[in-house]
Amino acid sequence: MTQAGRVTLRGINKRFGSFTALKNVDLDIKPEEFFALLGPSGSGKTTTLRMIAGLETPDEGVIEIAGKDVTFAPPGDRDIAMVFQNYALYPHMTVRENIAFPLKMEKVPAKEIEPRVVDAAKKVDIDHLLHRRPGQLSGGQQQRCALARAIVRQPKLFLLDEPLSNLDAQLRLQTRVELKKLQRSLNVTAIYVTHDQEEAMTLADRMAVFFNGEIMQIGTPDEVFNRPDSIAVAAFIGSPPMNLLPAQLDGSQLKVEGRTIELDRKPTATPMAVTMGIRPSHIRIDADGIPARLYLSENMGESVLLNLYIGEHLVKVRANENVSLDDGDIVPITFDVNAIHLFDAQTGIRIEN
Amino acid sequence: MHQSERRFAMAITMPALLVLLLTTTFPLGYLIWSSFQTLNLAMPFLDGFAGFSNYVEMWGDSRYWHAMQLTGIYTVSSVTLQVVIGLGLALLVMQIPRAQWVFRIVAILPIVLAPVVVGLFWRTLMLAPNFGMVDFLVQWLGFEQINWLGEPIPALISVIAIHTWQWTPFAFLVFLASLASLPGDVFEAARIDKANAFQRFWHLTLPLIRPAIIIVIIMRAMISLAAFAAIFAATGGGPGTATEILNLYAFKTSFVELNFGYGSALAVSLLIITMAVSAMLFRLRTARTVKPQ
Repeated sequence: MTQAGRVTLRGINKRFGSFTALKNVDLDIKPEEFFALLGPSGSGKTTTLRMIAGLETPDEGVIEIAGKDVTFAPPGDRDIAMVFQNYALYPHMTVRENIAFPLKMEKVPAKEIEPRVVDAAKKVDIDHLLHRRPGQLSGGQQQRCALARAIVRQPKLFLLDEPLSNLDAQLRLQTRVELKKLQRSLNVTAIYVTHDQEEAMTLADRMAVFFNGEIMQIGTPDEVFNRPDSIAVAAFIGSPPMNLLPAQLDGSQLKVEGRTIELDRKPTATPMAVTMGIRPSHIRIDADGIPARLYLSENMGESVLLNLYIGEHLVKVRANENVSLDDGDIVPITFDVNAIHLFDAQTGIRIEN
Repeated sequence: MHQSERRFAMAITMPALLVLLLTTTFPLGYLIWSSFQTLNLAMPFLDGFAGFSNYVEMWGDSRYWHAMQLTGIYTVSSVTLQVVIGLGLALLVMQIPRAQWVFRIVAILPIVLAPVVVGLFWRTLMLAPNFGMVDFLVQWLGFEQINWLGEPIPALISVIAIHTWQWTPFAFLVFLASLASLPGDVFEAARIDKANAFQRFWHLTLPLIRPAIIIVIIMRAMISLAAFAAIFAATGGGPGTATEILNLYAFKTSFVELNFGYGSALAVSLLIITMAVSAMLFRLRTARTVKPQ
């Protein structure tokens, strides 16, 4: 199997002064994969991307691209392309000169440059803007220009640092689709940094979820969404994320908020404190349920999001039916037993069935 | 109401306008008027309207053309040196991760000195034969002793060096500020695009700080053309007329030889040159670079 486009990180550590940016990061990104690095700001995802680019060097660990150790290789020797959050276009050059720049630096013969520039510009629909300067382009057009500059050299690995975050919401949705199509058609590996889980879920083949400089989970969007490894991931993924409630697991019985729920699982030997997780869409309004007080209901258009209090715990419930409730009403709710996630209350780690 | 407001505005701007008129416009007008007069305190019996005769005399005055030539050499070389050295230093200091402020403060020192002081300081402490530091250094390195201010070519080199020493920090500070404001990610993008350090400098740094370079050239050229005090203190235009730039020649004609009419004509010619050069440079500043495709 070809190694082109494979990226491997082993035991990466990085400190900035006394701040530990990355702790023991291991990644194996496969050729032609669309891989997202997801996490809140300051979690280390951008630092990881910059290390793959060669813009930072790790304090410890090894980075391999296409099977070659590039830990300390300069960016130019890695055969990569990168799209920056602010696009980083060369402001004094026209779009044509911007796209041609990587080719010029690679000493591509002049007569080959023009057709390749036009070809790259066509792929992102900016071939009619080649004479403009970045300052004369809209945000979306600048973004396309940055993409064209990245694809013109035809490298096997693309690094994208929050490329959509500066676009307005509508354009973001549109560009997201095009980006995925582009990556597929070019048969390249893409590593994509984002704090937007929806972007990561929709674009990525696999993703790594970062927290405080550590990778909490690596998996397909499905795995990360449906089987979060830890409370941290569970509390981050989903919009709104999973509800988390303190509970007690005793045998196969889960005691939560004074109720006992019979779970379909192997009984535990000793009772243990757990955190129960359940997504808002897996809670139903049911006359026999746990009474909860409605704090606020938010109309999301296709559904209604109910903010309920069970005792002092806030629980979010997605109700699809048109419920007419007033703030302060008592709403009885039940949990979908098969959709309950359990985490060790001490370690925060997922407890399997 | 409107009328009174206007009158009040006039009243409060008038003093400043008057002072400006008296200190700039009037002397300038007087200078131009003098340049069309024979006005010589050594031979007052000849005074009177002279028409263009001062300018005609200038045309055939070899000392004038010599002064012009020196002004050109002095300006072009000192401005070039200031830009090149200033930019070089700024690029160097940018590489220093901390305590850049030390360099900023050190850089200000020569600028705040009065040019006369700078001229005297170089004449006595640096370039004087036997005990000047430069002279000492040259001999210590095993070179022959050079009479820096006593020989024509070394004297010209010296006054250019003095001016460059005093004013390079200005260029340095402007370039440092300009470099500090450059977008970092653009340079990172260039590294990923396989541009080496020289290519990044040539294709990015230079074009991006072009406005700063042009502003420095304009400001320094205007000052260089009208340089006076440091040269006057260091060499007095000598030896002979070896460092006598146009400004010094005009001064000497007016205030040493007391030939005010001719001196004024010389000063007017310098004024015209300064304005022409500035206008040219300003046009360069506003011109958009149109690159062939």
